[in-house]
Amino acid sequence: MIAHRRDQPGRACAIGESARAATARALLPALVLLAALWLGPAPASAQSEAFVTNQTGDSLSIVDLTTLNVKSEIKIGGKPAGVAIGAGGTRAYLTAPDGRELVVVDTTSLAIVKRVPVGKGPVGVAAGPDGIVYVADWYDHKLYVVEPEGSGVVGAIEVGQSPSGVAVTPDGSTVLTADRDSDEVSIVDARARKRVAGIKVGQRPFGVTIDPSGRWAFTANVASDDVSIIDIAAREVIGTVKVGRRPYAVALAGGRAFVTDQYGGTVSVFGLGSLRSMGTIEVGDHPEGIAADADGRFVYVACWMDNVLVKIDAAKLNVVGRIAVGDGPRAFGNFLK
Amino acid sequence: MLKAFACGLAAAALLAVVGVDPSAAHGPSRQKVTEKVEINAPVDKVWAAIGNFQDMSWHPAIEKTEGTGANGVGATRKLTLKGGGTIDEKLNKYSAETHTYGYEISNVDVKVLPVNNYSSTLSVTDAGGKSVVEWKGAFYRGFVNNDPPPELNDAAAVKAVTGVYKAGLDALKKKFGG
Repeated sequence: MIAHRRDQPGRACAIGESARAATARALLPALVLLAALWLGPAPASAQSEAFVTNQTGDSLSIVDLTTLNVKSEIKIGGKPAGVAIGAGGTRAYLTAPDGRELVVVDTTSLAIVKRVPVGKGPVGVAAGPDGIVYVADWYDHKLYVVEPEGSGVVGAIEVGQSPSGVAVTPDGSTVLTADRDSDEVSIVDARARKRVAGIKVGQRPFGVTIDPSGRWAFTANVASDDVSIIDIAAREVIGTVKVGRRPYAVALAGGRAFVTDQYGGTVSVFGLGSLRSMGTIEVGDHPEGIAADADGRFVYVACWMDNVLVKIDAAKLNVVGRIAVGDGPRAFGNFLK
Repeated sequence: MLKAFACGLAAAALLAVVGVDPSAAHGPSRQKVTEKVEINAPVDKVWAAIGNFQDMSWHPAIEKTEGTGANGVGATRKLTLKGGGTIDEKLNKYSAETHTYGYEISNVDVKVLPVNNYSSTLSVTDAGGKSVVEWKGAFYRGFVNNDPPPELNDAAAVKAVTGVYKAGLDALKKKFGG
C-alpha cells in the first residue's frame, strides 16, 4: 500500500480531466485511488478527545475517547452548536448562536479564554492551519473571518443565503460554505477573502466536509435526502448519492462516507469508489454532528435527542460504544482533538 | 388543549410582513420536548389504541384523521383539529415489534402550531405489566428570523408542543382507567 501510494501520489485523474467529467462514472478512477489511499497507513494517530457542544444544555462535554468517559462538562451559554478544533489542538472554537459569540476554550485547562462577538447567528465554524477561524452567519449571510487571539472579526465575506456548514482545505487556501437557503456551496479564496464561485448542489445543504487531500467536498442536503460530491478545483458537482431522511453532515473514513440521517435515526454509509450504498447503521434519535478519527478506524456521532455520543467501527459498520453527554448534543463541525 | 394549538394567533400577519417561507428556513437552535405517562394496561392494549398512524382519535384535540399508505414508511395523514385548522404529517419510521413510530409535520400554519421543521417519535414500552408511553418532539420555533415576537419564540413553541403531548397522554391514561 505504501509503494502504491508513492508511485502514484494522488494523480490518477488530473484536474483538467475531472473538470470535463460530467458524470459520477468519470469520477470513479480518482475516487478509487482516494479510497485506496485511505486504506493505507494512517497519516496521523487517532484523536483522544471529543468536544461535544450540547445546545439544549448550554454546555460542552469533553469525552475521553480511550476510556469512553466524560472528563468534564463545562457551562458555555448561548446555545452552542458549531465546533472546530484549532490547528495544533490547543483550542476549541464554539459558536453560540443565541449569544452571538465565538467561544474559545483552552483544550487542556478546559477554561473559556475568550468570547468574541460575531454577527447575528453564528452556526458553522472551521479553523485554518494558520490560526484563522471562519464562522458562517445564518442571519447575516456572511462568512466572518476571525482572529480569535487577536482583534476578533477582521473580515466579512458575502456568501449565499443562510450559510451553515464551513470547511477549510488542509492548505488553508480555500474555504467552503454550505449555503442552505441558496442550495449552493460558496467557494471562497481565503487570501483574497472573496467568494469566487457558487456551485449548485442538492436542496438545503447543511454540513460540508473536505477530504484530507483537499480535492473533494461532500455536502449533506437536508431536503433532497442526498449527498453532493464536489470537485473543488473544477468547481462542479461530480456525483450525487441518495442517503436517509434529512441528512445533516458527512464524515469520511476508510474510503467510505458516513452520513447522519436526522429523521431516520441512522448513519448511511456509501463507498467512495463505487458511490453505492453499503447500508445503514442504527445509532439513535436525531444523529447530527459526525467526525472520523484521523486514522479512519472509528467514527463518532452525536445523537441530539438521545443525548449520547455513539462510537462506530468504520470497517465493521457497527456501534461499539455509547457515551452519555449533555442535553441536545449537536457537535456540528470537526469536534475531535 | 385548544389553547395550545391556537397559541400564536397573531403569527400569520407577522409572517406575511416578513415574507419568508417558513418551510424553507429556521432559526439556529432546535428545541426538544419529551413527555411520558405510565398507563395501567399492558403494552399490546395501549399500542392497539395508538399504534395506527391513520387513526389519531385517541387525542382529544383531533376531529378526524384522513390519510394514505396505512402504516408504511412514507404514509401521510391530515389531522383536522376540533375548532378548525389542519396538520399534514408523514410517517418516517414504524415498528409494530418495538411499538414505536416516528413522523414529521410536512405542513402546518404557525397559527395552528407555532413550530417549524417538526419531527416526533411515539413509543410504548413495558413497565412490569404496565406501559410507559413516551412522546418526543424536535422542532424549531415558529418565527424563522432573529428576534422573534414572544408568541413565536422558542418558549412559545415548547409550551405549545408540551400542551399537545400532555393533553394526549392524559386522555390516554383516562381511557385506560386513570
